[in-house]
Amino acid sequence: MTSKNREFPGTPLSEKDFEQGKILFLHDEMNGQYAWDTGIGIGRYLAALKEGYLLGSHCRRCRKTVIPPRTVCEQCFRPMDAFVPLQDTGTVNTYSLCYVTWDVQRITEPEIPAVIEIDGASPLCGIMHKLGEVEPDAIHIGMRVQAVWKPPEEREGAITDIRYFKPIKEKGR
Amino acid sequence: MSLLERNRHAPGAWRGTLPITSRYTAGLGGERFFRAIKDEGRILGARCEPCGVTYVPGRVFCERCLGELTDWVDVGTRGEVAAFTVLYEAVDGAPLETPELVAFVRIGDGGLMHRLGEVAPEAIAIGMTVEAVFKPKAQREGTILDILYFRPVG
Repeated sequence: MTSKNREFPGTPLSEKDFEQGKILFLHDEMNGQYAWDTGIGIGRYLAALKEGYLLGSHCRRCRKTVIPPRTVCEQCFRPMDAFVPLQDTGTVNTYSLCYVTWDVQRITEPEIPAVIEIDGASPLCGIMHKLGEVEPDAIHIGMRVQAVWKPPEEREGAITDIRYFKPIKEKGR
Repeated sequence: MSLLERNRHAPGAWRGTLPITSRYTAGLGGERFFRAIKDEGRILGARCEPCGVTYVPGRVFCERCLGELTDWVDVGTRGEVAAFTVLYEAVDGAPLETPELVAFVRIGDGGLMHRLGEVAPEAIAIGMTVEAVFKPKAQREGTILDILYFRPVG
């Protein structure tokens, strides 16, 4: 029935109506503070980032190493056996060129989010981060990359303690 | 250190702030109601003659018969206290030095939730006649706070 309607009743408003004071409105900013409990695994992961290394966890039964570290193996549901420091190098599993920011502003220089399989973790286990110091055309899946860290005094125990991952120059090729 | 033990030096919680903003428009009826407060210092209701009901604040349709309401009427600035409460805490839970008085002021067949002023908490009575005290016209913004409070008449 509604498919026959060309126009729906309503009162359309444009940004101009607000700017020119044609309409009364209230602007409000709600208090959106939150605290997210990091838990055991992510807490340690963030502490490791502050110290400048990547931390994973290992399940002996599954012979699987995951990053970020979990306390329970998601494959066999047993407690993990150990936290293990990993390399800060890895391989691009997938990536994207992103021309909008998180709040939907257009940008001309793309952000390059990528999933990076971390060296020392099991195949297909990796983290999402950004790529940098690389031309978009030069990126390929399987590309070797390395973390670019903030200096120790700037690190705060956050994933942004790594600025981005940059390509590793492959020697002798 | 056991695997299931927290690292005491690790961040226990990740803190942040979500940017939440909102823009509220009063709608067709609300626009007319608040314009009258802002520009004329008047409180408007809407009359549904078939139902014999005067809605305050005025609105665009009758919620009993769903008919459109076009008969907007000035209901004056007086009403009677139908219910009230004395608040000793602010919205953030902080204690208030002077308790705030909030009342439902019945006007016509509706009314407004608002503050009471120029009255001691002990002096308030249900059924008491009160009148709206408006902000000076130049300071009005077209919100319910263009009325500062209701105060006892006489």
